[in-house]
Amino acid sequence: MTSIRRDILIGLVCLALAVALPFAMPGRYVITQSTLFFIWAIVVVQWNLVLGIGGIFSLAQMALFATGAYATAMLGFYWKVPMLAAIPMAGVITVAVGMLIGLACLRLRGPYVALLTLAIAQVMYVLIVNDTDCFTTTGGCMPLFGGVRGIGQFGDIGLRALFPSKWYVAHYYVGLALLAVAVTISIIVIRGPLGLAFRALRDNPGYAMSRGISRFKYQLWIFAVSAFFTGIAGGFYAIHFRVVGPTVFSFSTLLFLIAMIVIGGLGSIWGPLLGAAVLMLADEGMRELSDYRNIGLGLLLAVFVIAWPNGLNGWLQRSRASRN
Amino acid sequence: MDVLIQIVASGLTLGAMYAVATIGLSLVYGSLNMLNMAHGAILTLGGYICYAAIVHAGLHPALALLAAAFVCALVGLMIYFSAALPLLRAENFETNIFIATIGIGSVIENLMLKGFGPYPIPQPLAVDGQVVIGNVHIPLQNVFILGVAIVLMVGVAILLQRTSAGRAIRATSMNREAAQLMGVRVGRIYAQVLALSGALAAVSGIMISSIATLTPVMGGDPMLKAFIVCVVAGLGNVYGAVVAAIALGLLEAATQYVLGVRWSFATLLLLVILVLIWRPYGLFGKQQVVRL
Amino acid sequence: MAEATLEIVDASAGYAGRIVLDAIKLSARKGELTAIVGPNGHGKSTLLKAISGLVPVTSGEIYLDGLRIDRLRPDQIVERGVIQVPQGDLLFPAMTVHENLLMGAYANSDGLAERLDFVFTLLPKLKERRNQTAGTLSGGERRMCGIGRGLMAGGEVLMLDEPSLGLAPIVIEQIYEVIFNLRREGRTILLVEENAERIAEHADMIHLLDNGRIAWSGLGAELMARPEIVETYLGV
Ligand SMILES: Nc1ncnc2c1ncn2[C@@H]1O[C@H](COP(=O)(O)OP(=O)(O)O)[C@@H](O)[C@H]1O
Ligand SMILES: [Mg+2]
Repeated sequence: MTSIRRDILIGLVCLALAVALPFAMPGRYVITQSTLFFIWAIVVVQWNLVLGIGGIFSLAQMALFATGAYATAMLGFYWKVPMLAAIPMAGVITVAVGMLIGLACLRLRGPYVALLTLAIAQVMYVLIVNDTDCFTTTGGCMPLFGGVRGIGQFGDIGLRALFPSKWYVAHYYVGLALLAVAVTISIIVIRGPLGLAFRALRDNPGYAMSRGISRFKYQLWIFAVSAFFTGIAGGFYAIHFRVVGPTVFSFSTLLFLIAMIVIGGLGSIWGPLLGAAVLMLADEGMRELSDYRNIGLGLLLAVFVIAWPNGLNGWLQRSRASRN
Repeated sequence: MDVLIQIVASGLTLGAMYAVATIGLSLVYGSLNMLNMAHGAILTLGGYICYAAIVHAGLHPALALLAAAFVCALVGLMIYFSAALPLLRAENFETNIFIATIGIGSVIENLMLKGFGPYPIPQPLAVDGQVVIGNVHIPLQNVFILGVAIVLMVGVAILLQRTSAGRAIRATSMNREAAQLMGVRVGRIYAQVLALSGALAAVSGIMISSIATLTPVMGGDPMLKAFIVCVVAGLGNVYGAVVAAIALGLLEAATQYVLGVRWSFATLLLLVILVLIWRPYGLFGKQQVVRL
Repeated sequence: MAEATLEIVDASAGYAGRIVLDAIKLSARKGELTAIVGPNGHGKSTLLKAISGLVPVTSGEIYLDGLRIDRLRPDQIVERGVIQVPQGDLLFPAMTVHENLLMGAYANSDGLAERLDFVFTLLPKLKERRNQTAGTLSGGERRMCGIGRGLMAGGEVLMLDEPSLGLAPIVIEQIYEVIFNLRREGRTILLVEENAERIAEHADMIHLLDNGRIAWSGLGAELMARPEIVETYLGV
């Protein structure tokens, strides 16, 4: 079976299971947590493209996610843009911001990129949190970016009005659809010409460059693609939770997401998704131990990188190889 | 005039603290190509150990400082043996150690959160009194910090320049293979550098907490600034880092005065981004020749 | 015949699964100049790296004065007196010439002052330039600094990897003058060189390395008398 066929098969099976889930487990908690899983999975799958395929050590993914969320909220709040238009617009805005960050970073070597992107995320956070000047006073003092409290009341995509009692199920399917598109794009990138170009650049940089494969150009491309879906995920996050605040920049979220990628398997198609599922489930299973959550996450992250750098995906592949 | 003195005085104090926080980071990057993301947590740990040693164990402040440096040096060694050593044997060391130390840093930080709680604690290691220059009152604590920092920096410079062990550290960071051919046991150098870096981080953590307060997350901000300094100076360039740290401290004091605390960090970052676009390998860094 | 100081017995080595050296067998005898000659990319540097412990020896053994050294760390091998002057010098560019020389004596600093004197007498240029940073030296000076640094270790065996590489003919002559003098003083030298003619008459033994194997071994003078070998393996 060719790898692309296998990917399609795995994807369809997962999709079918996910479509069936609300019928099998209709509880509201399970459904909303799964929706959150879809959101993080989109971010992680797109981040994996930048990190694992493009080889760009960018930590700006949460900043891009926040850009999408804030753009959606602000478009709705200040200009009353309907959400169905605001979310794609936010995606485009995120691409613009992503390209800007990309242009600033991509000429730098790996560790410099990590530091610079981390610093950019931090400065966005500081600017939002420290801003206390009232930008508008309608409905109380509110800074331009909402300050510490964040922005609310910017509209909805209308599913809450359409399905008053089952809106969360509707959101579940929206999230699932977005994730399906994000994964499809990720498969196309990894198995397609872009992925090929990056493999060429990694395996034989001299030859690849002599054939006119420009790392810079491809890195910018992959940055833009991943920024778009990350921004859309941010927009969906905004309407799902009805409020966007600076907590999206929190370090523990960053830790949570990076752990998903590493534990699942950096650079693989299904690894990050698997990692996201495993960590979301583990998080649920250990609610009482939430005090130790970040200690556990930190340990897991370190142990996986040191002992199993290819993550769970690496295990699966090895066991498949030994069966054949 | 008074304003200028004020800015220079607080800028130098800030710069001195950043310099001490940065030296270790830069040394580690220089010799191992390792960005130690646990540096901020180690720095905070130093502050808490000093606090605990004075308040709970009743140690003399000088001994408490040594104890903190010692414990953090041990943490540095632990990071070497548990993470750096195994990762050096595999591929992609730079990326993997970065991720691994993010994890380790989170573990240390959250252990402190469990142990000491989330609320700010004052650092007991402090000196009272002030000196007056013109009309400006400068706390003696700031002078003390500056003094300790200068002593440490001179000490590190002597170690690096004048001793055989220091030369071996520099040799390793210039060319690992050549250093091995001179009979340098690079594994031992790595361990030493991480231990030294831990001890320096502890001292800078104590300094920083003595003019602010102790909280489990206090290391994040100085670590980010130390990284900025390293990036501006060119990663691994220790002496450039000291210059850049002091420049950053002065700049921060000046922007805080002119623009207010709120905008100073953003301004600094903007500056760094511009520097990096202008000179991608830092102000004092040299482009590494990539051979194909 | 003098006894073998460095003895390589069927040693194989390579990088990440790729075998570069295939069962190499040769020895360097005490007080002699042993040369390894071969075209570019055939494993000469890899052989020296394997001896120095920088590249693991996957099978076979290496002995120094009858004691096995192929399982030792690079620093332990240096400590036992097997010193390498690597290809391309690999100086410490931000250090002064003097500091570079001190690094040479890192593992063995007994009699440091005498050795420094010895190096400065042998290579007077280095004395002139002692406080200049190594990164700013000319090509020839850099090579001398590399050789001087190797001599500072006071080792038993000196291994030189292509000391003529990238230098002007006149500088090459000066460098070889120094090396042949060291031989006359009775040093044990293992020399890697691409150009056989340059060293043939001074070498006690020559080994031809062809694609990771020893293709021919013999006395220096012998090689020059066998044009067919020179032509086959060295393509001159
Ligand atoms: N660090 C390395 N990693 C992988 N292959 C290497 C490395 N160094 C050398 N090689 C390969 O080993 C072979 C022998 O190289 P080398 O020993 O440097 O040859 P020589 O010194 O005779 O020119 C060459 O094919 C070269 O490409
Ligand atoms: Mg060679």
